[in-house]
Amino acid sequence: MILGWRLTDAERREWLERLLGSGRRVVAPTRDGGLLLFRPIASPDEAVLDYGNTRWSPKEHLFPRAEELFSYRLTADEVKLEQRAPDAVEQVLFGLRPCDAAGLARLDSVFLDGAPDASYAERRSRTFTVSLACDSARPECFCTAVGGSPGGTDGSDLQLVHLDGSWLLRALTDKGVQLVETVSALWEQATDEDWAAAKECQRAVEEEIARTPLAAEWAGVLDGAFGHPLWAAVGERCLGCGVCAYVCPSCSCFDVDDNGSAFCGTRCRLWDSCGFASFTKHASGHNPRPDQPSRYRQRVLHKFAYYPLEHGSFMCVGCGRCTVLCPVGLDIQQTVRRVVEEALA
Amino acid sequence: MNGFLPHLMRIAELRQETPDVRTLCLEFADRSVASGFEWRAGQFALFSSFGAGECVFTIANPPTRGGRIECTFKRLGKVTTSLERLSTGELVGFRGPYGNSFDVEGWRGRNLVFVGGGIGMAAVAAPLRYVLDRREEYGEVVLLNGARTVPDVVYKDEMQEWEAIDGVRVVRAVDPGGEEPGWKGEVGLIPAVFERLGLKPDGRTVVVCGPPVMLHFMLLTLDKLGYSREQVVTTLENRMTCGVGHCGRCNVGRFVVCRDGPVVTAARLNDLPEDL
Repeated sequence: MILGWRLTDAERREWLERLLGSGRRVVAPTRDGGLLLFRPIASPDEAVLDYGNTRWSPKEHLFPRAEELFSYRLTADEVKLEQRAPDAVEQVLFGLRPCDAAGLARLDSVFLDGAPDASYAERRSRTFTVSLACDSARPECFCTAVGGSPGGTDGSDLQLVHLDGSWLLRALTDKGVQLVETVSALWEQATDEDWAAAKECQRAVEEEIARTPLAAEWAGVLDGAFGHPLWAAVGERCLGCGVCAYVCPSCSCFDVDDNGSAFCGTRCRLWDSCGFASFTKHASGHNPRPDQPSRYRQRVLHKFAYYPLEHGSFMCVGCGRCTVLCPVGLDIQQTVRRVVEEALA
Repeated sequence: MNGFLPHLMRIAELRQETPDVRTLCLEFADRSVASGFEWRAGQFALFSSFGAGECVFTIANPPTRGGRIECTFKRLGKVTTSLERLSTGELVGFRGPYGNSFDVEGWRGRNLVFVGGGIGMAAVAAPLRYVLDRREEYGEVVLLNGARTVPDVVYKDEMQEWEAIDGVRVVRAVDPGGEEPGWKGEVGLIPAVFERLGLKPDGRTVVVCGPPVMLHFMLLTLDKLGYSREQVVTTLENRMTCGVGHCGRCNVGRFVVCRDGPVVTAARLNDLPEDL
């Protein structure tokens, strides 16, 4: 039995109003400088919910582009290190697409498994995710090729489905239930027919996306195709600009650097990309990945071979942002298909 | 607990090994950290100079010589240049230890060969010193140290102490053209000098640390001499940022150096892609 409700648009708006009034930070798709981006909103009207996808994924609200790890200050014979206290405000990521929510689940596996990353874990623990199922597809969408779907729930605490002018709201985790507990008693329970209609709608979107799934066993094929000559031919086109990594909902590589003088400053964590020439360059000048094809291959193999062989899912959620924004039109999904096809030929 | 927050360590002593290689001997500024601090030979740490950033070095002293932490580094980039400007009494950042370690327990009773090329000698130092500190537990020990030129030889004084130990043979080599009048050591690239030593593979473990190109040719030489790849151990020296498998920088295929290494057998290297 699915736990969920059917909300009118007015009820949905009122709920958002309540969330804003509860002292939580609500981060939703909104217009910012001509782009649609996840930004904190001040009123329900600022949330744009009839959208394809945002330019950037919402990952920066859990894994910021630049983040202070601590500050340092040198005095006569001492060094003072200080950590800024977390802002401790609960945040609600509202209206993210299922692919982006799945991207957060990938980040969780990187930053929370094994040796948890303190600042990510702290931010994650006070973050709620309300995803928004897709009722249409964009040309670049390929979630269905990488194990996702327009109504995928991976990484979501709650999910909204737009259905005939009203909204279905499905609770998926205890955190999700917690986020609606003061209001859900006022809402009408969604019926089996509602969920069946939602499912039908998502099936139609899946058909629209029309992608053949990448087989799980391709991870092993790709891993074994490290030396395939096709990498050089395809990767030669890559400019190493890194835009793919920056807009990616699951890319998690970072650098740590000091910002300041020898007397005071901060140590920061910054996004990085395996596509950059300096990413693996040793101080000696030796670079294990000395050319762009070897760096492009790393990006593809990390997402489609190394990560899946360890975690069981691709480290790509099929949002298609990298494909749209790549200045030379590299399509990661097509690359995977081509390499596998040739490796198996 | 913020894993990036370093311990503060004071430079208790420094040694200028060569014109561009320095050893720092560090003591925890907070003495209460020192008593509970444990590590194993082969593990690494991130050392930092505030304002310049962090750098990965192997911990050059073994746990048999506790109380301090030593690192030996070559001035090459921003952080090492900054660290080299520091004087005795100044503070540096330290976080670690990270990674796996050498199987020094498993080597008991075996004959050991340590091969250190250039600054790779720092990676050989911890297991070598460990073995020498428990000399009676191990067989014959050979150290082959290679440097580009005579002034580039590190740990000069200590090497004299080592060769005075019973059952320890120290072979020094410099690259062709790097010798000076009066040089009594070998002249030649490390793989060639190793071959000239005529060491039979039986019952030996070989630890090889050095630049990637040296490692490449050493492995070929060891193959040729009949050493199995199981008896050869090295360390991977990829760039690392976090030390705990998160930052995505140090992987060689599925092998994440900071998490699965840095110590690795040559046999394991066979399974890794040519991404070194």
